[in-house]
Amino acid sequence: MSILHIKDLHLGFKTLTGHVDVLHGIDLDIAAGEKVALVGESGSGKSVTARIVLGLLQETRTARISGTVQFDGQDINAMSARDRAGLRGTEMSMIFQDPTSALNPMFTIGNQFTEVLRRRDPKLSKAASHARATTLLDEVAIPDPARVLGAYPFQLSGGMNQRVMIAMALANTPKLLLADEPGTALDVSVQAQTLTLIRDLVEQNGTSVLFISHNLGVVREFADRVYVIYRGNIVEDGPTDALFANPQHAYTRALMSAVPRITGAGLPEVPEVSDDFLAPRISHGGAL
Amino acid sequence: MTLLSLNGLTKTFETPTGPVHAVSDVTLDVQAGECLAIVGESGSGKTTIANMILGILAATSGEITFDGQALSAKRSAEQRRRIQLVQQNPLSSLNPKRSIGASVRLGLDVYDIGEKSGRWGVVEDALDAVGLSGDMRTRAPASLSGGQRQRVSIARALACDPRFLVLDEPTSALDVLVQARVLRLLNDLRVVRGLTYIFITHDLAVVRNVADRVAVFQSGQLVELGETTQIFSAPQAAYTRQLIGAVPVVDAAELNLRNKLAEGV
Repeated sequence: MSILHIKDLHLGFKTLTGHVDVLHGIDLDIAAGEKVALVGESGSGKSVTARIVLGLLQETRTARISGTVQFDGQDINAMSARDRAGLRGTEMSMIFQDPTSALNPMFTIGNQFTEVLRRRDPKLSKAASHARATTLLDEVAIPDPARVLGAYPFQLSGGMNQRVMIAMALANTPKLLLADEPGTALDVSVQAQTLTLIRDLVEQNGTSVLFISHNLGVVREFADRVYVIYRGNIVEDGPTDALFANPQHAYTRALMSAVPRITGAGLPEVPEVSDDFLAPRISHGGAL
Repeated sequence: MTLLSLNGLTKTFETPTGPVHAVSDVTLDVQAGECLAIVGESGSGKTTIANMILGILAATSGEITFDGQALSAKRSAEQRRRIQLVQQNPLSSLNPKRSIGASVRLGLDVYDIGEKSGRWGVVEDALDAVGLSGDMRTRAPASLSGGQRQRVSIARALACDPRFLVLDEPTSALDVLVQARVLRLLNDLRVVRGLTYIFITHDLAVVRNVADRVAVFQSGQLVELGETTQIFSAPQAAYTRQLIGAVPVVDAAELNLRNKLAEGV
């Protein structure tokens, strides 16, 4: 069964000069325990899709949303704002691009953990929360968790903050994790460690992941299945191996050809933006 | 011919908890017309070296020679205009309140380059060289796409008629299609204008395709320096192999190469 089922999702914004359409009927499914990537360039609609799943854009008065978004069998768009808020941080959680700005600079890591854990269990004592946080930090391979719990985000490195964010996001064993370009703000080697860590933990817990990225290499290493989004339309989707071995859509091919390779061969000739990029969706199957 | 040389370049910052050795005893030459990549993680000293070359920071010890002349942080306008910078994020490096044209022109006024009456012409030529039309000069940075803004940053550097560009992660804020176009532009400009580049990045796949030589830094020290083809066929330092091992790859040939080079890490 799908943890996330998105069908014919449309999004538009009311602006001073009229109406801007951002998503033109997105279909996307994520099975339990599946790691799915949504790949596209800036402005393609990947982050707004995540914000709709989290129930955040529904609170924006200028946003016009239609279509189906089912999370674990419940229709997100039909829920009250309060119920949607109840899902965040418990049943679904998010890892952001830049860990240092996503953590609150005014509170210690320990206090932020308590806040997160109390979303699931409001009566959790401070001592119990610290004990649980210590275990969680241990799982993300943070040495000396006691010191880190007493520290403020600025006292930790970017890589450490990223691990703290991962531990917090998974603290309440959510069914769905949304990861928006995790590690892009970090060095390559830290980014690689971060991805391995997220993958190990979600596989261990059976958590489903919606992974948002514009980096094809990272997507290839992380995801089971990939959706390619271009200007608010899904243009191609399929199992990661099939899609990378045999990209069919003009836009996917253009993206692949533009990635510099460590095998050399010089800078690629980049095809100009063409009408073919807007051709209908090609599916390699593999979804539920 | 050597255009720029660093000789025993060292930068130490004094902090309340003791000295931090940001750059330690770095010696290397940059040949005229080459693109030298500087790679390494955050804190490896990449940007500190760039800042010393640009004259933003004074070296603690060691010397920088440019075109046969010693360069200190106190340098003439003539020396300054010849070494220009392109930064990572064009949205924060361009003044949002200044039109594109005014940003590109600023260097001409500051360094007093050429006749005043001819300066707008220089601005239009610089915009033209990066593929932007001259009538864009009245627009604000906010009305441009990321790729266009980065082209403006490059035009701003070119307007001063530099010989040497320090490119600090010039494409890492850009989408892959836009990145490929900007990299081609930089490559073409280098050939056409006879420029010399220092290309700072942690994206090794980009390095493989744009640089002639690679300098690998770790904790402020130069750990490996070599031809790009040599670094990507037989890396010597364990740290270089570790960096290559972390590159995300998209096809089987790359995967094989990466696994081969990263062996033993």
